[in-house]
Amino acid sequence: MKRTSVVQTFHAETLIISSVLQIGDSERISTRTRALAVQRQYELFFGPEGEQIFPVFAKPIPRWTSPPPTAARQTLHESPVISVQSVRVLAISSSAIVHIGSTSTAEAEARMKHIRQLAGSESSAPTRGRDS
Amino acid sequence: MNYTVINRDVHVGDIRLTAVASASLFLIGDADVINLSSAFDTPPESLIIGPFVPLVPARGDTP
Repeated sequence: MKRTSVVQTFHAETLIISSVLQIGDSERISTRTRALAVQRQYELFFGPEGEQIFPVFAKPIPRWTSPPPTAARQTLHESPVISVQSVRVLAISSSAIVHIGSTSTAEAEARMKHIRQLAGSESSAPTRGRDS
Repeated sequence: MNYTVINRDVHVGDIRLTAVASASLFLIGDADVINLSSAFDTPPESLIIGPFVPLVPARGDTP
C-alpha cells in the first residue's frame, strides 16, 4: 500500500523539454532528452547540424540492477498521509519529473552536448552575414 | 534478516524550488524503483575558437 499525498497549494512557472508534472498516483513514468546546445559568438545557423551522432547520445549508460533482497522488509504506514502546505517551482526541464502522489517506477534520462564556438582573433566577423 | 520501516506523520511546510532539471525527480509520495541518469558532455573540444564552420564530429569521435 502506498500513502496519500496532500498538497494545499502548488505553483509551477515553466515546464519544458520532455518533463512531466504528475498529480495523482502513477504506475510507470519514463522520460528521455537529447540536447545539442550550440552557442556561437554570432547568430549563425547552418541547418542540419544536429543530425550527426555524438558519442554522448549513443553511449550506453550502465544500469544498476538491485540484487535480490537479503532482508525481509515490512513497511507500516502509521500515518497514511504525506502533507505539504505549499510547493513553488520556477522551472522543470530536461526530462525532470515532479510527482505529487505515489508511483511504482520512475525513470529519466538526459543527455547533453554543449559546444561553444568563438571567433578567432583574425576572423572576428562571421563568414556569412550576421543578419542573413 | 527482518527489518521494519514505520512511516509516522510527515507534515511539511513550504517548499520553494528554483529548478528541477536534467533527469531529476521531485517526489511527494512513495516509489518502488527510481532510475535516473544524466550525461553532460563538455570536453575541451567543446570550445571551438576559429572560423565558424558547421559542426562535424572530431576524428575518433564517432561511436
